[in-house]
Amino acid sequence: MAERSGNQTYYELLEIPQSAGPMDIYNAYQRARKTYSPSSPALYSMFSPEEASQLMSLIEEAYQTLSHQGRRKEYDQKIGLGATPTPPKPAKSNESPGKNKADDAWVGQVRTVPKRDELPKGFARTRYSVYEVKPDLESEIQEAQEMDGPFLQKIRLYKGVKIEQICDELRMTKTSLVALESNDLDALPVPVFTRGFIVGIARVLGLDGKKTADAYMKFFKANKK
Amino acid sequence: MKLGNVSNVDFTPLRGRVEPGSTIIAVGGGKGGVGKSFVSSSLSIFLAHLGYDTLAIDLDLGGANLHTSLGAPLSNVGINEFILNPDLEFSDLIQPTSWPKLKLISGSSDVVDIANIDELQRSRVMSAIFRHKADFTILDLSAGTHHSTVDFFLMAQHKVTVITPDPSSIENAYRFLKAAFFRKLRRYEHQLQLKSQIDELLNNKAQHGIKNPSDLIRVLVDREPVLGLKLRNILGALNYEIVLNQARTRQEMELGYSLQSVCNKYFGFPCDFLGSLEYDNAVWQSLRQRNHLLQANRQSHLYGQLMGMARKLVKSHQLKAVV
Repeated sequence: MAERSGNQTYYELLEIPQSAGPMDIYNAYQRARKTYSPSSPALYSMFSPEEASQLMSLIEEAYQTLSHQGRRKEYDQKIGLGATPTPPKPAKSNESPGKNKADDAWVGQVRTVPKRDELPKGFARTRYSVYEVKPDLESEIQEAQEMDGPFLQKIRLYKGVKIEQICDELRMTKTSLVALESNDLDALPVPVFTRGFIVGIARVLGLDGKKTADAYMKFFKANKK
Repeated sequence: MKLGNVSNVDFTPLRGRVEPGSTIIAVGGGKGGVGKSFVSSSLSIFLAHLGYDTLAIDLDLGGANLHTSLGAPLSNVGINEFILNPDLEFSDLIQPTSWPKLKLISGSSDVVDIANIDELQRSRVMSAIFRHKADFTILDLSAGTHHSTVDFFLMAQHKVTVITPDPSSIENAYRFLKAAFFRKLRRYEHQLQLKSQIDELLNNKAQHGIKNPSDLIRVLVDREPVLGLKLRNILGALNYEIVLNQARTRQEMELGYSLQSVCNKYFGFPCDFLGSLEYDNAVWQSLRQRNHLLQANRQSHLYGQLMGMARKLVKSHQLKAVV
Protein backbone atom coordinates (compact mmCIF):
# COMPACT_ATOMS: atom_id res chain seq x y z
CA MET A 1 0.00 0.00 0.00
CA ALA A 2 1.33 3.44 -0.88
CA GLU A 3 2.40 5.66 1.98
CA ARG A 4 0.51 8.66 0.76
CA SER A 5 -2.89 7.14 1.45
CA GLY A 6 -2.55 7.93 5.17
CA ASN A 7 -5.83 6.95 6.73
CA GLN A 8 -8.05 8.31 4.00
CA THR A 9 -10.91 6.27 2.65
CA TYR A 10 -11.54 5.87 -1.06
CA TYR A 11 -14.40 8.35 -0.73
CA GLU A 12 -12.05 10.94 0.74
CA LEU A 13 -9.46 10.25 -1.92
CA LEU A 14 -12.00 10.99 -4.65
CA GLU A 15 -13.51 13.81 -2.54
CA ILE A 16 -17.06 12.53 -2.81
CA PRO A 17 -19.70 11.85 -0.15
CA GLN A 18 -20.36 8.27 0.87
CA SER A 19 -23.78 8.51 -0.77
CA ALA A 20 -22.31 9.43 -4.17
CA GLY A 21 -23.91 7.79 -7.20
CA PRO A 22 -22.04 6.24 -10.15
CA MET A 23 -22.04 9.47 -12.18
CA ASP A 24 -20.58 11.45 -9.26
CA ILE A 25 -17.88 8.81 -8.85
CA TYR A 26 -17.06 8.88 -12.55
CA ASN A 27 -16.89 12.70 -12.67
CA ALA A 28 -14.74 12.83 -9.52
CA TYR A 29 -12.41 10.23 -11.01
CA GLN A 30 -12.04 12.18 -14.27
CA ARG A 31 -11.33 15.36 -12.34
CA ALA A 32 -8.78 13.61 -10.10
CA ARG A 33 -7.02 12.14 -13.17
CA LYS A 34 -6.66 15.62 -14.59
CA THR A 35 -5.44 17.03 -11.29
CA TYR A 36 -2.80 14.39 -10.55
CA SER A 37 -1.55 13.81 -14.08
CA PRO A 38 2.18 14.60 -14.41
CA SER A 39 1.49 17.68 -16.57
CA SER A 40 -1.00 19.25 -14.15
CA PRO A 41 0.02 22.82 -13.18
CA ALA A 42 -1.91 22.49 -9.90
CA LEU A 43 0.70 20.13 -8.45
CA TYR A 44 3.56 22.54 -8.86
CA SER A 45 5.60 22.87 -5.65
CA MET A 46 3.09 20.82 -3.58
CA PHE A 47 3.54 17.21 -4.69
CA SER A 48 6.59 15.72 -6.38
CA PRO A 49 6.03 13.63 -9.54
CA GLU A 50 6.58 10.45 -7.47
CA GLU A 51 4.03 11.51 -4.87
CA ALA A 52 1.57 12.43 -7.62
CA SER A 53 1.99 9.04 -9.28
CA GLN A 54 1.43 7.30 -5.92
CA LEU A 55 -1.73 9.34 -5.47
CA MET A 56 -2.80 8.55 -9.01
CA SER A 57 -2.48 4.80 -8.47
CA LEU A 58 -4.55 5.09 -5.29
CA ILE A 59 -7.16 7.07 -7.15
CA GLU A 60 -7.30 4.36 -9.85
CA GLU A 61 -7.68 1.78 -7.11
CA ALA A 62 -10.44 3.82 -5.47
CA TYR A 63 -12.30 4.18 -8.75
CA GLN A 64 -12.02 0.48 -9.56
CA THR A 65 -13.56 -0.37 -6.21
CA LEU A 66 -16.26 2.27 -5.93
CA SER A 67 -17.44 2.04 -9.54
CA HIS A 68 -18.34 -1.62 -9.09
CA GLN A 69 -21.42 -2.28 -7.01
CA GLY A 70 -20.23 -5.55 -5.48
CA ARG A 71 -16.73 -4.36 -4.66
CA ARG A 72 -18.09 -1.12 -3.26
CA LYS A 73 -20.47 -2.99 -0.97
CA GLU A 74 -17.66 -5.18 0.26
CA TYR A 75 -15.40 -2.17 0.80
CA ASP A 76 -18.12 -0.28 2.69
CA GLN A 77 -18.49 -3.22 5.03
CA LYS A 78 -14.75 -3.34 5.60
CA ILE A 79 -14.53 0.30 6.59
CA GLY A 80 -17.61 0.02 8.77
CA LEU A 81 -20.15 1.90 6.67
CA GLY A 82 -23.79 0.95 6.43
CA ALA A 83 -25.44 -0.21 3.24
CA THR A 84 -24.47 1.73 0.12
CA PRO A 85 -27.38 3.25 -1.79
CA THR A 86 -28.16 1.11 -4.80
CA PRO A 87 -27.00 2.91 -7.93
CA PRO A 88 -29.68 3.43 -10.57
CA LYS A 89 -27.46 2.19 -13.41
CA PRO A 90 -24.07 0.55 -13.75
CA ALA A 91 -20.99 2.78 -13.69
CA LYS A 92 -18.88 3.42 -16.77
CA SER A 93 -15.99 1.32 -15.56
CA ASN A 94 -14.94 0.59 -19.16
CA GLU A 95 -14.06 4.24 -19.76
CA SER A 96 -10.98 4.21 -17.59
CA PRO A 97 -7.96 3.07 -19.56
CA GLY A 98 -5.74 0.14 -18.69
CA LYS A 99 -8.14 -1.62 -16.35
CA ASN A 100 -8.88 -5.28 -15.88
CA LYS A 101 -12.59 -5.54 -16.41
CA ALA A 102 -12.93 -8.96 -14.85
CA ASP A 103 -15.19 -8.69 -11.82
CA ASP A 104 -13.09 -10.81 -9.54
CA ALA A 105 -9.73 -9.32 -10.50
CA TRP A 106 -9.83 -6.65 -7.85
CA VAL A 107 -11.56 -8.49 -5.07
CA GLY A 108 -8.33 -9.61 -3.49
CA GLN A 109 -6.93 -6.09 -3.62
CA VAL A 110 -9.63 -4.35 -1.64
CA ARG A 111 -7.74 -2.42 0.95
CA THR A 112 -8.86 -2.35 4.52
CA VAL A 113 -8.66 1.32 5.34
CA PRO A 114 -9.40 2.31 8.91
CA LYS A 115 -12.32 4.65 9.23
CA ARG A 116 -10.99 8.18 9.16
CA ASP A 117 -9.81 9.72 12.41
CA GLU A 118 -10.59 6.88 14.74
CA LEU A 119 -11.15 8.47 18.08
CA PRO A 120 -9.25 7.61 21.23
CA LYS A 121 -11.12 5.51 23.78
CA GLY A 122 -13.63 7.47 25.82
CA PHE A 123 -14.34 10.00 23.06
CA ALA A 124 -17.23 10.28 20.63
CA ARG A 125 -18.19 12.69 17.89
CA THR A 126 -21.15 14.55 16.53
CA ARG A 127 -21.22 15.99 13.04
CA TYR A 128 -19.55 19.16 14.35
CA SER A 129 -17.47 18.17 17.37
CA VAL A 130 -15.45 15.62 19.26
CA TYR A 131 -16.28 15.28 22.96
CA GLU A 132 -15.30 13.24 25.98
CA VAL A 133 -18.00 10.72 26.91
CA LYS A 134 -19.33 11.16 30.46
CA PRO A 135 -21.22 7.98 31.42
CA ASP A 136 -23.37 9.62 34.13
CA LEU A 137 -24.58 12.30 31.70
CA GLU A 138 -25.16 9.71 28.98
CA SER A 139 -27.36 7.67 31.29
CA GLU A 140 -29.21 10.82 32.38
CA ILE A 141 -29.94 11.57 28.69
CA GLN A 142 -31.02 7.98 28.05
CA GLU A 143 -33.38 7.92 31.03
CA ALA A 144 -34.92 11.38 30.56
CA GLN A 145 -38.68 11.05 30.04
CA GLU A 146 -39.19 14.79 29.82
CA MET A 147 -36.72 17.34 28.46
CA ASP A 148 -36.83 21.11 28.72
CA GLY A 149 -34.76 23.83 27.04
CA PRO A 150 -31.95 24.06 29.63
CA PHE A 151 -31.55 20.28 29.50
CA LEU A 152 -31.13 20.44 25.72
CA GLN A 153 -28.63 23.26 26.21
CA LYS A 154 -26.75 21.11 28.73
CA ILE A 155 -26.52 18.31 26.13
CA ARG A 156 -25.40 20.76 23.46
CA LEU A 157 -22.65 22.18 25.66
CA TYR A 158 -21.59 18.69 26.75
CA LYS A 159 -21.22 17.68 23.11
CA GLY A 160 -19.40 20.91 22.23
CA VAL A 161 -21.76 22.01 19.48
CA LYS A 162 -22.12 25.76 18.93
CA ILE A 163 -25.42 27.58 18.63
CA GLU A 164 -24.32 28.96 15.24
CA GLN A 165 -23.67 25.47 13.90
CA ILE A 166 -27.20 24.31 14.75
CA CYS A 167 -28.68 27.53 13.34
CA ASP A 168 -26.75 27.10 10.07
CA GLU A 169 -27.68 23.45 9.77
CA LEU A 170 -31.39 23.89 10.49
CA ARG A 171 -31.77 27.33 8.87
CA MET A 172 -33.27 28.68 12.09
CA THR A 173 -32.52 31.97 13.80
CA LYS A 174 -30.31 32.28 16.84
CA THR A 175 -33.19 33.97 18.67
CA SER A 176 -35.41 30.90 18.24
CA LEU A 177 -32.72 28.59 19.55
CA VAL A 178 -31.97 30.84 22.52
CA ALA A 179 -35.71 31.03 23.22
CA LEU A 180 -35.92 27.27 23.10
CA GLU A 181 -32.97 26.80 25.43
CA SER A 182 -34.23 29.40 27.88
CA ASN A 183 -37.79 28.00 27.98
CA ASP A 184 -39.29 31.13 26.45
CA LEU A 185 -42.18 29.13 25.05
CA ASP A 186 -44.12 32.17 23.87
CA ALA A 187 -41.34 32.97 21.40
CA LEU A 188 -41.49 29.49 19.87
CA PRO A 189 -43.60 28.60 16.83
CA VAL A 190 -46.67 26.33 16.84
CA PRO A 191 -46.10 22.79 18.21
CA VAL A 192 -45.67 21.10 14.84
CA PHE A 193 -42.77 23.41 13.89
CA THR A 194 -41.25 23.28 17.36
CA ARG A 195 -41.28 19.50 17.13
CA GLY A 196 -39.54 19.78 13.76
CA PHE A 197 -36.84 21.95 15.36
CA ILE A 198 -36.31 19.45 18.14
CA VAL A 199 -35.97 16.55 15.70
CA GLY A 200 -33.38 18.57 13.76
CA ILE A 201 -31.48 19.57 16.90
CA ALA A 202 -31.48 15.95 18.09
CA ARG A 203 -30.04 14.89 14.75
CA VAL A 204 -27.22 17.44 15.01
CA LEU A 205 -26.50 16.36 18.60
CA GLY A 206 -26.52 12.68 17.68
CA LEU A 207 -29.67 11.86 19.69
CA ASP A 208 -32.72 9.82 18.80
CA GLY A 209 -34.99 12.32 17.04
CA LYS A 210 -38.34 10.75 17.96
CA LYS A 211 -37.47 10.06 21.58
CA THR A 212 -36.06 13.54 22.12
CA ALA A 213 -39.00 15.22 20.40
CA ASP A 214 -41.51 13.17 22.47
CA ALA A 215 -39.69 14.08 25.68
CA TYR A 216 -39.54 17.79 24.82
CA MET A 217 -43.13 18.00 23.55
CA LYS A 218 -44.33 16.50 26.85
CA PHE A 219 -42.75 19.49 28.61
CA PHE A 220 -43.91 21.93 25.92
CA LYS A 221 -47.56 20.90 26.08
CA ALA A 222 -47.60 20.93 29.87
CA ASN A 223 -46.18 24.45 30.12
CA LYS A 224 -47.43 26.28 27.04
CA LYS A 225 -50.31 28.57 27.90
CA MET B 1 -39.97 24.58 35.80
CA LYS B 2 -39.11 28.24 35.53
CA LEU B 3 -39.89 29.86 32.25
CA GLY B 4 -37.53 32.65 31.19
CA ASN B 5 -37.91 35.35 28.61
CA VAL B 6 -35.65 35.57 25.60
CA SER B 7 -35.21 39.30 26.03
CA ASN B 8 -33.61 38.71 29.44
CA VAL B 9 -31.02 36.28 28.11
CA ASP B 10 -27.45 37.49 28.10
CA PHE B 11 -25.99 36.38 24.79
CA THR B 12 -22.36 36.89 25.76
CA PRO B 13 -21.78 33.70 27.76
CA LEU B 14 -23.53 31.67 25.06
CA ARG B 15 -21.01 32.74 22.47
CA GLY B 16 -18.04 31.60 24.46
CA ARG B 17 -15.74 34.07 22.70
CA VAL B 18 -15.73 37.61 21.40
CA GLU B 19 -17.39 37.90 18.03
CA PRO B 20 -16.08 40.31 15.38
CA GLY B 21 -18.27 43.31 14.54
CA SER B 22 -18.63 42.18 10.94
CA THR B 23 -17.98 39.26 8.63
CA ILE B 24 -14.36 39.79 7.63
CA ILE B 25 -13.21 38.68 4.17
CA ALA B 26 -9.46 38.83 3.52
CA VAL B 27 -8.27 38.72 -0.08
CA GLY B 28 -4.65 37.61 -0.43
CA GLY B 29 -2.66 35.68 -2.96
CA GLY B 30 1.06 35.77 -2.42
CA LYS B 31 1.96 37.23 -5.81
CA GLY B 32 1.51 40.78 -7.06
CA GLY B 33 -0.61 41.55 -10.11
CA VAL B 34 -2.96 38.56 -9.81
CA GLY B 35 -5.99 40.75 -9.26
CA LYS B 36 -6.35 40.96 -5.48
CA SER B 37 -7.47 44.59 -5.58
CA PHE B 38 -9.83 43.89 -8.48
CA VAL B 39 -11.43 40.95 -6.65
CA SER B 40 -11.63 42.89 -3.34
CA SER B 41 -13.18 45.95 -4.96
CA SER B 42 -15.63 43.86 -7.01
CA LEU B 43 -16.75 41.78 -4.04
CA SER B 44 -17.16 44.96 -1.99
CA ILE B 45 -19.34 46.52 -4.67
CA PHE B 46 -21.51 43.43 -5.06
CA LEU B 47 -21.98 43.00 -1.32
CA ALA B 48 -22.99 46.66 -1.13
CA HIS B 49 -25.34 46.05 -4.09
CA LEU B 50 -26.90 43.14 -2.21
CA GLY B 51 -27.81 45.60 0.54
CA TYR B 52 -25.03 45.06 3.08
CA ASP B 53 -23.06 47.76 4.84
CA THR B 54 -19.60 47.06 3.54
CA LEU B 55 -16.22 48.54 4.39
CA ALA B 56 -13.27 47.96 2.06
CA ILE B 57 -9.86 48.44 3.68
CA ASP B 58 -6.63 48.72 1.73
CA LEU B 59 -4.06 46.80 3.76
CA ASP B 60 -1.52 46.68 0.96
CA LEU B 61 0.70 48.91 3.08
CA GLY B 62 3.21 50.66 0.90
CA GLY B 63 1.56 49.55 -2.35
CA ALA B 64 -2.01 50.69 -1.89
CA ASN B 65 -4.26 50.97 -4.93
CA LEU B 66 -7.73 49.88 -3.86
CA HIS B 67 -8.96 53.48 -4.16
CA THR B 68 -7.94 53.42 -7.85
CA SER B 69 -9.83 50.18 -8.44
CA LEU B 70 -12.92 51.75 -6.87
CA GLY B 71 -12.48 55.01 -8.79
CA ALA B 72 -12.23 56.93 -5.50
CA PRO B 73 -10.15 60.13 -5.18
CA LEU B 74 -6.85 60.25 -3.32
CA SER B 75 -7.32 60.77 0.40
CA ASN B 76 -5.10 62.49 2.94
CA VAL B 77 -6.33 60.34 5.81
CA GLY B 78 -6.11 56.59 5.55
CA ILE B 79 -4.77 53.48 7.20
CA ASN B 80 -1.21 54.90 7.07
CA GLU B 81 -2.16 57.87 9.25
CA PHE B 82 -4.01 55.57 11.65
CA ILE B 83 -0.86 53.51 12.09
CA LEU B 84 1.35 56.54 12.69
CA ASN B 85 -1.02 58.61 14.81
CA PRO B 86 -2.24 56.84 17.99
CA ASP B 87 -4.84 59.55 18.65
CA LEU B 88 -6.69 58.99 15.39
CA GLU B 89 -9.99 57.08 15.57
CA PHE B 90 -10.77 54.32 13.05
CA SER B 91 -14.08 55.96 12.15
CA ASP B 92 -12.20 59.16 11.09
CA LEU B 93 -10.59 57.26 8.22
CA ILE B 94 -13.76 56.14 6.49
CA GLN B 95 -14.50 57.81 3.18
CA PRO B 96 -17.60 57.43 1.00
CA THR B 97 -17.60 55.88 -2.48
CA SER B 98 -19.94 56.02 -5.49
CA TRP B 99 -21.95 53.19 -3.90
CA PRO B 100 -24.05 54.34 -0.92
CA LYS B 101 -23.57 51.16 1.14
CA LEU B 102 -19.85 50.89 0.42
CA LYS B 103 -17.24 52.77 2.46
CA LEU B 104 -13.50 52.82 1.95
CA ILE B 105 -10.42 53.15 4.09
CA SER B 106 -7.64 53.78 1.64
CA GLY B 107 -3.89 53.72 1.98
CA SER B 108 -3.33 56.32 -0.69
CA SER B 109 -1.20 58.84 1.22
CA ASP B 110 2.57 58.81 0.68
CA VAL B 111 4.24 57.59 3.83
CA VAL B 112 7.69 56.12 3.44
CA ASP B 113 8.48 52.86 5.26
CA ILE B 114 4.83 52.19 6.17
CA ALA B 115 5.06 48.58 4.97
CA ASN B 116 7.27 47.68 7.95
CA ILE B 117 4.90 48.05 10.88
CA ASP B 118 5.71 46.56 14.27
CA GLU B 119 3.62 44.12 16.26
CA LEU B 120 1.99 46.78 18.39
CA GLN B 121 0.85 48.78 15.40
CA ARG B 122 -0.37 45.59 13.73
CA SER B 123 -2.46 44.55 16.70
CA ARG B 124 -3.95 48.05 16.99
CA VAL B 125 -5.07 47.87 13.34
CA MET B 126 -6.39 44.34 13.79
CA SER B 127 -8.28 45.24 16.92
CA ALA B 128 -9.89 48.27 15.20
CA ILE B 129 -10.93 46.10 12.23
CA PHE B 130 -12.28 43.43 14.57
CA ARG B 131 -14.40 45.92 16.51
CA HIS B 132 -15.72 47.83 13.49
CA LYS B 133 -19.47 47.31 13.13
CA ALA B 134 -20.72 46.59 9.61
CA ASP B 135 -22.14 43.64 7.67
CA PHE B 136 -18.92 42.92 5.77
CA THR B 137 -15.34 44.14 5.98
CA ILE B 138 -13.13 43.37 2.98
CA LEU B 139 -9.36 43.42 3.49
CA ASP B 140 -7.23 43.92 0.39
CA LEU B 141 -3.86 42.43 1.34
CA SER B 142 -0.38 42.91 -0.07
CA ALA B 143 1.69 40.34 -1.93
CA GLY B 144 4.29 38.26 -0.12
CA THR B 145 4.28 36.37 3.17
CA HIS B 146 5.14 39.17 5.59
CA HIS B 147 3.86 38.51 9.12
CA SER B 148 1.45 41.47 8.92
CA THR B 149 -0.09 40.18 5.70
CA VAL B 150 -0.45 36.64 7.06
CA ASP B 151 -1.92 37.88 10.35
CA PHE B 152 -4.50 40.05 8.57
CA PHE B 153 -5.34 37.02 6.42
CA LEU B 154 -5.75 34.75 9.44
CA MET B 155 -8.03 37.13 11.32
CA ALA B 156 -10.73 36.84 8.64
CA GLN B 157 -13.60 34.37 8.63
CA HIS B 158 -13.30 34.08 4.84
CA LYS B 159 -9.73 33.62 3.67
CA VAL B 160 -9.87 34.19 -0.07
CA THR B 161 -6.78 33.47 -2.17
CA VAL B 162 -6.59 34.84 -5.69
CA ILE B 163 -4.58 32.71 -8.11
CA THR B 164 -3.98 33.02 -11.85
CA PRO B 165 -3.13 29.99 -14.02
CA ASP B 166 0.56 31.05 -14.27
CA PRO B 167 2.96 28.66 -12.53
CA SER B 168 4.58 31.57 -10.67
CA SER B 169 1.22 32.66 -9.27
CA ILE B 170 0.33 29.10 -8.28
CA GLU B 171 3.69 28.65 -6.57
CA ASN B 172 3.45 31.94 -4.67
CA ALA B 173 -0.15 31.28 -3.66
CA TYR B 174 0.77 27.87 -2.26
CA ARG B 175 3.69 29.42 -0.41
CA PHE B 176 1.34 32.02 1.04
CA LEU B 177 -1.14 29.34 2.19
CA LYS B 178 1.67 27.30 3.73
CA ALA B 179 2.93 30.40 5.55
CA ALA B 180 -0.56 31.00 6.93
CA PHE B 181 -0.87 27.36 8.01
CA PHE B 182 2.43 27.36 9.89
CA ARG B 183 1.79 30.79 11.41
CA LYS B 184 -1.44 29.43 12.90
CA LEU B 185 0.24 26.18 13.94
CA ARG B 186 2.99 28.10 15.74
CA ARG B 187 0.42 30.26 17.49
CA TYR B 188 -1.43 27.31 19.00
CA GLU B 189 1.40 24.86 19.65
CA HIS B 190 2.41 26.84 22.77
CA GLN B 191 -1.15 27.00 24.07
CA LEU B 192 -1.62 23.26 23.62
CA GLN B 193 1.88 22.44 24.88
CA LEU B 194 2.73 20.61 21.68
CA LYS B 195 5.76 22.66 20.69
CA SER B 196 8.41 20.07 21.57
CA GLN B 197 6.44 17.29 19.86
CA ILE B 198 5.92 19.33 16.68
CA ASP B 199 9.56 20.45 16.60
CA GLU B 200 10.68 16.87 16.96
CA LEU B 201 8.38 15.72 14.15
CA LEU B 202 9.46 18.54 11.84
CA ASN B 203 13.15 17.87 12.50
CA ASN B 204 12.74 14.18 11.65
CA LYS B 205 10.23 14.36 8.82
CA ALA B 206 11.68 11.49 6.82
CA GLN B 207 11.80 9.18 9.82
CA HIS B 208 8.11 9.78 10.58
CA GLY B 209 7.02 9.74 6.92
CA ILE B 210 5.89 13.37 7.02
CA LYS B 211 5.71 14.98 3.61
CA ASN B 212 3.10 17.66 4.15
CA PRO B 213 1.00 19.36 6.87
CA SER B 214 -1.69 16.69 6.55
CA ASP B 215 0.85 13.97 7.47
CA LEU B 216 2.18 16.10 10.32
CA ILE B 217 -1.23 16.45 11.96
CA ARG B 218 -2.03 12.77 11.39
CA VAL B 219 1.16 11.64 13.13
CA LEU B 220 0.56 14.16 15.91
CA VAL B 221 -2.97 12.83 16.50
CA ASP B 222 -1.57 9.29 16.70
CA ARG B 223 0.86 10.41 19.39
CA GLU B 224 -1.28 12.87 21.33
CA PRO B 225 -4.91 12.01 20.56
CA VAL B 226 -6.68 14.62 22.65
CA LEU B 227 -4.45 17.65 22.03
CA GLY B 228 -3.75 16.57 18.46
CA LEU B 229 -7.47 16.44 17.69
CA LYS B 230 -7.91 19.85 19.28
CA LEU B 231 -5.15 21.28 17.12
CA ARG B 232 -6.59 19.60 14.04
CA ASN B 233 -9.99 21.16 14.71
CA ILE B 234 -8.39 24.59 15.12
CA LEU B 235 -6.42 24.27 11.91
CA GLY B 236 -9.43 22.81 10.09
CA ALA B 237 -11.18 26.15 10.62
CA LEU B 238 -8.67 27.74 8.22
CA ASN B 239 -10.89 26.64 5.33
CA TYR B 240 -9.14 28.50 2.50
CA GLU B 241 -11.30 29.77 -0.37
CA ILE B 242 -9.76 29.89 -3.84
CA VAL B 243 -10.58 32.28 -6.68
CA LEU B 244 -9.07 31.56 -10.08
CA ASN B 245 -8.56 34.83 -11.94
CA GLN B 246 -7.67 35.62 -15.56
CA ALA B 247 -8.70 32.23 -16.97
CA ARG B 248 -8.40 32.29 -20.75
CA THR B 249 -9.57 28.79 -21.71
CA ARG B 250 -12.05 26.20 -20.49
CA GLN B 251 -9.16 24.10 -19.13
CA GLU B 252 -7.93 27.08 -17.15
CA MET B 253 -11.42 27.72 -15.78
CA GLU B 254 -11.45 24.16 -14.44
CA LEU B 255 -7.98 24.47 -12.92
CA GLY B 256 -9.62 25.91 -9.79
CA TYR B 257 -11.04 22.48 -8.90
CA SER B 258 -7.58 20.96 -9.21
CA LEU B 259 -6.09 23.64 -6.96
CA GLN B 260 -8.82 22.96 -4.43
CA SER B 261 -8.19 19.22 -4.53
CA VAL B 262 -4.42 19.63 -4.14
CA CYS B 263 -4.93 21.97 -1.16
CA ASN B 264 -7.40 19.52 0.42
CA LYS B 265 -4.92 16.69 0.22
CA TYR B 266 -1.85 18.72 1.12
CA PHE B 267 -3.26 20.52 4.17
CA GLY B 268 -5.68 17.81 5.24
CA PHE B 269 -8.70 20.06 5.71
CA PRO B 270 -11.40 21.07 3.24
CA CYS B 271 -10.75 24.11 1.07
CA ASP B 272 -13.41 25.73 -1.12
CA PHE B 273 -13.33 26.86 -4.71
CA LEU B 274 -15.29 30.10 -4.94
CA GLY B 275 -15.19 30.26 -8.73
CA SER B 276 -13.29 31.29 -11.85
CA LEU B 277 -13.08 34.72 -13.43
CA GLU B 278 -12.48 35.01 -17.14
CA TYR B 279 -9.71 37.16 -18.54
CA ASP B 280 -11.37 40.29 -19.87
CA ASN B 281 -9.66 43.24 -21.59
CA ALA B 282 -12.44 45.42 -20.25
CA VAL B 283 -10.80 45.22 -16.80
CA TRP B 284 -7.65 47.11 -17.72
CA GLN B 285 -9.55 49.37 -20.10
CA SER B 286 -11.93 50.50 -17.35
CA LEU B 287 -9.01 50.85 -14.91
CA ARG B 288 -7.29 53.25 -17.30
CA GLN B 289 -10.45 55.33 -17.28
CA ARG B 290 -10.27 55.30 -13.44
CA ASN B 291 -13.59 53.54 -13.37
CA HIS B 292 -14.62 50.16 -12.05
CA LEU B 293 -15.53 47.46 -14.56
CA LEU B 294 -18.91 46.99 -12.92
CA GLN B 295 -19.78 50.60 -13.69
CA ALA B 296 -18.05 50.87 -17.05
CA ASN B 297 -18.95 47.52 -18.61
CA ARG B 298 -21.96 45.73 -17.22
CA GLN B 299 -22.14 43.39 -20.22
CA SER B 300 -18.92 41.65 -19.19
CA HIS B 301 -19.14 37.96 -18.28
CA LEU B 302 -17.32 38.88 -15.11
CA TYR B 303 -20.46 40.57 -13.83
CA GLY B 304 -22.28 37.27 -13.35
CA GLN B 305 -19.19 35.42 -12.15
CA LEU B 306 -18.45 38.00 -9.45
CA MET B 307 -22.08 38.20 -8.39
CA GLY B 308 -22.05 34.40 -7.94
CA MET B 309 -18.99 34.66 -5.71
CA ALA B 310 -20.47 37.44 -3.59
CA ARG B 311 -23.62 35.40 -3.06
CA LYS B 312 -21.57 32.37 -2.02
CA LEU B 313 -19.86 34.46 0.63
CA VAL B 314 -23.19 35.49 2.10
CA LYS B 315 -24.73 32.79 4.25
CA SER B 316 -28.14 31.77 3.05
CA HIS B 317 -29.96 33.14 6.08
CA GLN B 318 -28.24 36.50 5.56
CA LEU B 319 -29.52 36.89 1.99
CA LYS B 320 -31.77 39.88 1.48
CA ALA B 321 -34.33 40.59 -1.19
CA VAL B 322 -32.89 43.17 -3.57
CA VAL B 323 -35.19 45.17 -5.83
